[in-house]
Amino acid sequence: MAPTLSPPGALTDMGRALLRWFGGWWRVVHLGAQLLVLALSPSSYTRANRLAMAHHIVVGTAPMLLWFTLLSSLISLVIIRIVVVTAASYGLSQYALQMVVRVLVLELIPLTAAIFVALRIGLPDGRELARMRLRGELDALRQHGLDPLAHEVLPRTLAGAFAVLMLAAVAGLVTLVLAYLTVHGFTPGAFERYTRTVGQVFSPAVTLIFTIKTFLLALAVSLIPVASAIYDLPHGKARTSAEVRALVRLFLMMLLIEAASLVGNYY
Amino acid sequence: MNEHPPESPVPPPVAHLELKAALLLALLVLLLVGSVLYVMYARGVFEPTQRLVLVADDSEGVTVGMDMTFSGFPIGRVRRIELAEDGAARILIDVPKKDARWLRESSVFTLVRGLVGNVAIRAYSGVLGDPPLPDGAVRRVLVGDATAEIPQLVTATRDLVRNLTALSNADSALTAALGNVQAASERLKGRHGALGLLLGNDEDAKKLVAALDRTNALLARVDGLAARVDGLVAKADVQVFGPEGVMPETRAAIVQLSGTLADARNTLKQADRLLAEAQAVATNAKVASADLGTLRAEVESSLRKVEQLVNEINRKWPFARDTELKLR
Repeated sequence: MAPTLSPPGALTDMGRALLRWFGGWWRVVHLGAQLLVLALSPSSYTRANRLAMAHHIVVGTAPMLLWFTLLSSLISLVIIRIVVVTAASYGLSQYALQMVVRVLVLELIPLTAAIFVALRIGLPDGRELARMRLRGELDALRQHGLDPLAHEVLPRTLAGAFAVLMLAAVAGLVTLVLAYLTVHGFTPGAFERYTRTVGQVFSPAVTLIFTIKTFLLALAVSLIPVASAIYDLPHGKARTSAEVRALVRLFLMMLLIEAASLVGNYY
Repeated sequence: MNEHPPESPVPPPVAHLELKAALLLALLVLLLVGSVLYVMYARGVFEPTQRLVLVADDSEGVTVGMDMTFSGFPIGRVRRIELAEDGAARILIDVPKKDARWLRESSVFTLVRGLVGNVAIRAYSGVLGDPPLPDGAVRRVLVGDATAEIPQLVTATRDLVRNLTALSNADSALTAALGNVQAASERLKGRHGALGLLLGNDEDAKKLVAALDRTNALLARVDGLAARVDGLVAKADVQVFGPEGVMPETRAAIVQLSGTLADARNTLKQADRLLAEAQAVATNAKVASADLGTLRAEVESSLRKVEQLVNEINRKWPFARDTELKLR
């Protein structure tokens, strides 16, 4: 790369970068569509593929589940305590529970689970696939008449999405229980009222947005690193590595999803 | 490198892989289904409900999903808010059947707006013996607004402060009254005390004191007079009630009088007896006169018979022209 560029050259370079950027996103979307079709077709669930999926699910999710639950419980407990005490000091304790459920269960926990899975599963999977591609293993699969998408990529993507849903579900449940215990203590007497409050938060619109958001986050986390690994240029044309670019793309996507869900919920 | 078998990247196998994967999947499905059911339960999907329509002028602050409370317990949820044909707001509330028994025909519903803009719908049932509220009942909601009171409160407070200011002014009636009270208390502390305060000046107070002294002297003389009257009364007592007094003699005269009265009563009794005898004589005379009457009647009838006889003879005696009968 030339250290200095003439203005027309810079413009061309910028145009090319923009094109590449759009191309990258297009490939992600294209891969996503392909994987969706594969996930919905029964032929993808051969015994070998099922075994591979089981392997990725167990190896990916099981070790993380305990740690993530512990960590999120700790943070949730601190946040619940802060919110409840602050609200009580302003005499607004009847709104504290709603706020806890909204802030933690609806917003923070799905996002945290997605980031956690992205760092622990999505990016390592992407790196592994990139290495396999570099070593030509994917081409070798193709030569053996096996679809590398169905055999290597789909199990990883599904396992990633599964991990996000699993972590979010478990942590959400634990947080709901912790919120109940923090506000009401170890008594079943307030269950009716607590359930009512939760019911008030989970109105149909909010529940729909929450579900869509969580699924989109799961999809983004499992798809974008893998897509970057498969399609990005291997040679050192760009200044950053494929992994970092995948990370940037992923965070941008998560930001968009989160912003869209906030807009949907509160406007 | 290109000749690697396709399965080579698979890492060392995990024990009971499929079972663990199935367990994780089952756990996720369980969590998702459980969450959906719980949220549906929390939203009251499984409860049979009845509809209550509250009509308000202003539904500001009321949101779909908020609670209606009875004695602080949530017993209903706002399902919809709509605008009626007449421009009023209709708040449609679902009340679970099991909680509907708290609502009666006479129940009152209020929409209370708090200081920070929070809104609460409350139900009050004064008479729980009334017939229960029917399904689909339409009720007017009473609006109570805490902030609506504030302007009135501020106005009232301003008036109060103005009155207080007027009261505490230097030329106010209260200040003048307080000044007078102070002057009065000064006079109280003076030589003539309360008397000086009452009469207004010291001269009159002096006169009053002199009058009091003279009254005292007069009272002393009245005392002497009363002593003398006492002696007089004692003498009169002896004259009237003493052994030689008027009273014993009067008593003796009365005894004599009662003796005379007894004699008079005896005399009267004798007169009574005489009168009774005279009455008996008179009765006898009356009987005798009754006998005389009978005798006379008999004589009259005998005479009439004689007359008839003479008339008869005269008729039968044809030569006699003189029909006159002469009694000799």
